[in-house]
Amino acid sequence: MAMDDAPETAEIADFLRQHPPFGGLSDSELATLIRAMEIRYYRRGSTITSAGEPNEWFSIVRSGAVELRLGGSDLNARLGEAGCFGYPSLLRGGHAQNEAIALEDALVYRVAKPAFLSLVEAHPDFRAYFEIDEASRLRRAVDSLRATAASGRELQDLGAHASLQSLIGRRDLATGRPDMTVSDAARLMTQVDVSTLPICDGETLVGIVTDKDLRRRVLGVGLDLSRPVSEIMTASPVTAVAETPILTALITMAERHIHHLPVTDTAGKVIAVVSSNDILSQLGSNALHIAKAIGAASDSQGVAQATGQLPQALKGLVGAGVDADHVSRYVSTIGENAHRRLLQLGEERLGPPPVAYALVCFGSLARAEQALGSDQDNGFVFAPGYDPALHDGYFEDLARHMCDGLNAAGYRYCPGDIMATNPVYRRTAGQWLDVFRGWIENPDPQAVLESTIFFDMRAISGEAALVDDLRKQVFAAAASDRIFLSFIARSAATTRVPLGFFRNFLLHDDADEGRVLDLKKHAIAPIVDIARTHALARELTATNTAERLKAAADAGSMNAEVADDLIACFEFVRDVRFRHQAEQLSRGEPPSNNLDPARLSRFDREHLRDAFRLIRDQLDKLRGTFAGGVA
Amino acid sequence: MILQPLSNWLSGSGRFARRFEAARRLAPDGPLRAFYDAGYPTFSTPLAQVPLVALDLETDGLDFRGSAILEAGLVEMAHDRIFAGTGKRIRIRPPEALSEQSVVIHRITDDALAGELDEAEALSRLLPLLAGKPVVAHFSEIESGFLDAACRRVFGAPFVAPFICTMALENRWFPRQRAADGLRLAKLRAGYGLPAYRAHDGLVDALACGELLVAQIAAHGNAPTLGDVIRS
Repeated sequence: MAMDDAPETAEIADFLRQHPPFGGLSDSELATLIRAMEIRYYRRGSTITSAGEPNEWFSIVRSGAVELRLGGSDLNARLGEAGCFGYPSLLRGGHAQNEAIALEDALVYRVAKPAFLSLVEAHPDFRAYFEIDEASRLRRAVDSLRATAASGRELQDLGAHASLQSLIGRRDLATGRPDMTVSDAARLMTQVDVSTLPICDGETLVGIVTDKDLRRRVLGVGLDLSRPVSEIMTASPVTAVAETPILTALITMAERHIHHLPVTDTAGKVIAVVSSNDILSQLGSNALHIAKAIGAASDSQGVAQATGQLPQALKGLVGAGVDADHVSRYVSTIGENAHRRLLQLGEERLGPPPVAYALVCFGSLARAEQALGSDQDNGFVFAPGYDPALHDGYFEDLARHMCDGLNAAGYRYCPGDIMATNPVYRRTAGQWLDVFRGWIENPDPQAVLESTIFFDMRAISGEAALVDDLRKQVFAAAASDRIFLSFIARSAATTRVPLGFFRNFLLHDDADEGRVLDLKKHAIAPIVDIARTHALARELTATNTAERLKAAADAGSMNAEVADDLIACFEFVRDVRFRHQAEQLSRGEPPSNNLDPARLSRFDREHLRDAFRLIRDQLDKLRGTFAGGVA
Repeated sequence: MILQPLSNWLSGSGRFARRFEAARRLAPDGPLRAFYDAGYPTFSTPLAQVPLVALDLETDGLDFRGSAILEAGLVEMAHDRIFAGTGKRIRIRPPEALSEQSVVIHRITDDALAGELDEAEALSRLLPLLAGKPVVAHFSEIESGFLDAACRRVFGAPFVAPFICTMALENRWFPRQRAADGLRLAKLRAGYGLPAYRAHDGLVDALACGELLVAQIAAHGNAPTLGDVIRS
């Protein structure tokens, strides 16, 4: 056509096609949308829509950032590129409930109401995208994560589709030269404690020497130790690039009857040597192996060595697509084992305990929701008959042994000193109950905030009944105290849920990490808080968050659908955290809860936003349900 | 590109009015005459009340008389918004075959142009779209120069229109030291937080230029009149 009256403005159409739900529209539907579109530009700080005013536009952020200030609250949603707003008032009719403000200079596509509504009418998927609530989207996301992981598991064994890269440590690789003597090579291998030495001519790998070679080709035949190592090395060994899937590498090694595989980078430079044991332990047995190694440890150092393999095991589990709940339970199990073994070792050294006691753990370990990098939170609960003058010396030593051992094993000392080494946390069950009663009967906001983790308690070792009875009485006292419950609900609802999603998404300045999202503080803790509040109100015995939510639904304290939503949400945010921690480990960084938003995939970003919305709504509801009773 | 002197701004509209009227009288009956008869908003009109059209011409060279217009892209706009659904594209068959270099630049091949409008037909389609509306372009000497040369070839009369040049406006409203390419459309857009667009599609460039003007006016803050932004 000579003159194109309704040409596709490529930039607009291309942009829309890249982003859901517009990618699902036909060319003519897209054209209809663009025909009804105007492009606006808003300077940073200017108001796009005012709450309470009629809204006639469906808006899409093309560039820049827009903040939605949600009806009367200080909870804000931040929209980046392709973020949509204005549709709720169009769909529901009525005025805009949110104020929309340009956070940065923003280019915004606006589609007139009639065109948007007729597209919603005509296109079920498009409608679903805007009508479907966050919870359903989130559940779908979790389902699809599980489905992806499940299909991966069918094809390959646990961890097998990870690459050799995941086995390679950051330790510098020692290499030998072909002209070095056999005795120098053996000395080098002893010094750096390796059983395999790659021999390189410059950067080029020319051979490999193993312990076995030294036995069979040197000692066994009485070879002169001053001969060059090139005479005994296996020349031109089989190698694999770091990207090789572990399973492929294992098959290669089995086929060639070799136990050591030099790993090279893409340029052919050798960067590591991987052994068949490395691979076998990656393929799942190490998950079991750690627990076994802890049980067999003869001292604190042995426990620390075993737990030192936990990060590697976590990488394997996450890489294999194991769901976050199971990963958490696994990590928690290892944590429990470490506590138990250290107590046993302490008792072996100090003699049997002079009075019955229980080791109680608080917080994430009590809930079986531990991730990597957790601090300690523990105490002792003594049976009646405990006499401080006679017994406390023993338990102080026992606590010292355990807490030091835990710290060495990667469970750092509690910054708030909630540890059995602190005399405050060595009490009889009756004394503990008095402490809890104090918090319950005379709540003040700060004390409530600091005491919430104590309400997640579990006996890890010793007389579990001591802790179970204590919990029962504590929860009974809490459930009958509306004022305390309102404080608990309020302390939960003070969490500021960041609805921001995109480049300057947050939020929280961390000295080391710059602008980061704290998944624990902003996503995980609020759900834990919600579950705990319901557990206290209904005297639920469960301590695990998902179990508490289910029990709350069963008890009628919470709508069953809401409970499912929160469980899906909880699973999703923890899944993001574990995948994030696995990536940190792969980069050689210590695992943390702090997420760089720039590293989030679009999928995670969008679903985290859904998760945050859902959490915010439920926190609001919690406040309404439990926090209304106090002026 | 050689920058024209940027100092020939009109303090008033008198000189432009005289040029416009003189051109009108030279225009024969037909599309160009109709364009002039539609007139233009007086320069004292608040820009907020003036309908605008953003225009970009793709040409096969920079010499007004020796090069041909290949494509015109245009989109209607106002001082604070672009009407995205009003985009239009007119492809023009050049008098001679394209030079190889320009094919590379514009991603338009001879085949794509075959059967497109000849210059006279293209102008008769384009001029009504510009009538009555100040024309927004980036480095508008290109648009005004090429349209003038084309009108002189086809109608034997000059093309005079109120142009808003986003490049000149940037220099006038926000003067500063800049790199050699600092006044390029993409560079200026980036400065306003506007997204990066693929270059050299007439319609996209018209859109890009229109968005830049909206951003410039938003940044300027004050409510200008047409005369405040016009370059004639």
